[in-house]
Amino acid sequence: MNHPEPFSPTPATADEDRILRTWTPLILRSVLIVSTIVLTIGIVATVLHAPGFYVDRFRALQHGELQGAANLWTLLVGVKAGSPHAIMTIGLYVLTLVPLVRVAFTLVLFVKDRDYIYVAATAYVLGGLILGMMLGRIG
Amino acid sequence: MDASDGMAEASNDAEFPGDCAVLTILGGLFALAILAGFIGALSGLGGGVFIVPGLVILAHVPMQVAVGASLISVVATSAGASVAFVRDGWTNLRVAIILECATVTGALTGAYLAGVISQPILEMLFALMMLQSAYYSITKHGDELLPASDALCERLRLGGEVPGDDGRMTPYGVRNLPGGAVLMVIAGIMSGLLGIGSGALKVAAMDHLMKLPLKVSSATSNFMIGVTAGAGALVFLSRGDVAAAVAAPVAIGVTGGALLGSRILPHANVGALRMLFATVLVLIAVEMGWRALSGI
Repeated sequence: MNHPEPFSPTPATADEDRILRTWTPLILRSVLIVSTIVLTIGIVATVLHAPGFYVDRFRALQHGELQGAANLWTLLVGVKAGSPHAIMTIGLYVLTLVPLVRVAFTLVLFVKDRDYIYVAATAYVLGGLILGMMLGRIG
Repeated sequence: MDASDGMAEASNDAEFPGDCAVLTILGGLFALAILAGFIGALSGLGGGVFIVPGLVILAHVPMQVAVGASLISVVATSAGASVAFVRDGWTNLRVAIILECATVTGALTGAYLAGVISQPILEMLFALMMLQSAYYSITKHGDELLPASDALCERLRLGGEVPGDDGRMTPYGVRNLPGGAVLMVIAGIMSGLLGIGSGALKVAAMDHLMKLPLKVSSATSNFMIGVTAGAGALVFLSRGDVAAAVAAPVAIGVTGGALLGSRILPHANVGALRMLFATVLVLIAVEMGWRALSGI
C-alpha cells in the first residue's frame, strides 16, 4: 500500500518528528491490539461457554435493562471467575485508554518544546478525560 | 456484576440453548459495525452517525444502549484511522488541542445530560444532526488555502504546510478561532449526548469557519473525535451505561472497518461518494425523526 509522502502540516522539530512518527503510532497500535485481543477473548468465551446468557442479556438490553456499574476490582474478580462479560468490559476500558494515551503523548511533546500555552491546553484536555471517569462514578 | 456472574452465565446455558441465536446476533452486530467504521473513516463523519441508527432501527436496542456502544465505537474508529493519519502527518496538533479544550467541556456536559433527556428528544436531536451532516457533505467548498493567519491564530502558531498540486509544500493560514471554538462546544455536547463523533460539525468548523485545508480538517477532526468520545465513553463506562454485550462486538467491527477505510482514503475519490452518504444520511434522519415523533 503506497501512502502519500509523509509531511508535517506544522513545521516539526526533531523531537516532534520522533514522538509523532515513531512512538505515537506504535503505542496507539499496541493499546488497540491489546484491547482487540481482550474483547475477542471475551466474545469467544461468550460463544463457547455462555451463549444462552448472551442471548438473554441481549434481549434484556432490548428492553433497556443495563447491568449497572462495576468497579475495577469486581471486574477483575469477574475475569478470574471466567465471566465473559467482565472480560469484555475490561477490554472496553483498555480501548478508552487510546485517546488518553494520545493526549498524554501530546503533552510530553509540548513540554519538551517548552510550549507552555499548549502544555496548559493539553493538561486541561487530559484533566477533562480523567474528570469524565470521576463524574461517572459520582453520578 | 460480581464474582458469581461466571457461574450464573454457565447455569443459564441449560435454559437458553442459544448457540445459533448468539452467532446470529454477533454476526449482525459485526456486519453493522464493519460497515459503519468503513463509511465513517472514509467520509470523515465517524462511525457513530451510522452505528446509533443501525442499533436502534435494526437491532432494536434503546437509544441509551446505542449511545453507550456508539461512543466506544467512535473511540475505536478514531484510533483505527489515527494509526494511518498520525504516520502520514496530516493532523494539525495545535489546532486539535486548542479546540479540544472547548469540545471536552461540551462532551462532559452532554454525557451528563444524556441520562436525563427522554428517548424521543434524543432521537429527534439525532435526526437533526444527521441532516446537518448530510447538508455539510454536499456543500463542501473547494480546497483553496488561506495565505496567512489572523492575529490570534498567528500568535498561537496554528498555521502549517500542505503539499500543493505540484508536490511542493505550501503554507496555509488559519482564522476565526473563537467562532470555531463555539461550534466545538456544541459539537462536544452533541457528542456526549448522542454518542456520535460530531465529525461533520467539527470538520465544518475547521473547513468553513477556520479555513483549514480539507484533508487537514478531516485528520484533525479524527484526532479530536477520539478524545471527545473518550471523555463521554468514560462517563458512560464508569456509570455502568455501556452494555458490553453490544459494545464489544461493535468496537471490534468498527476498528476493522475504520482501518480499511483509512487505508483506502488517500486513494479514494471521496467527492463521488459524498452524494451517496448524504442520501443515506437523509433517509436515516427521516426514519429516526419519524420514530421520535411517534414516540412523543
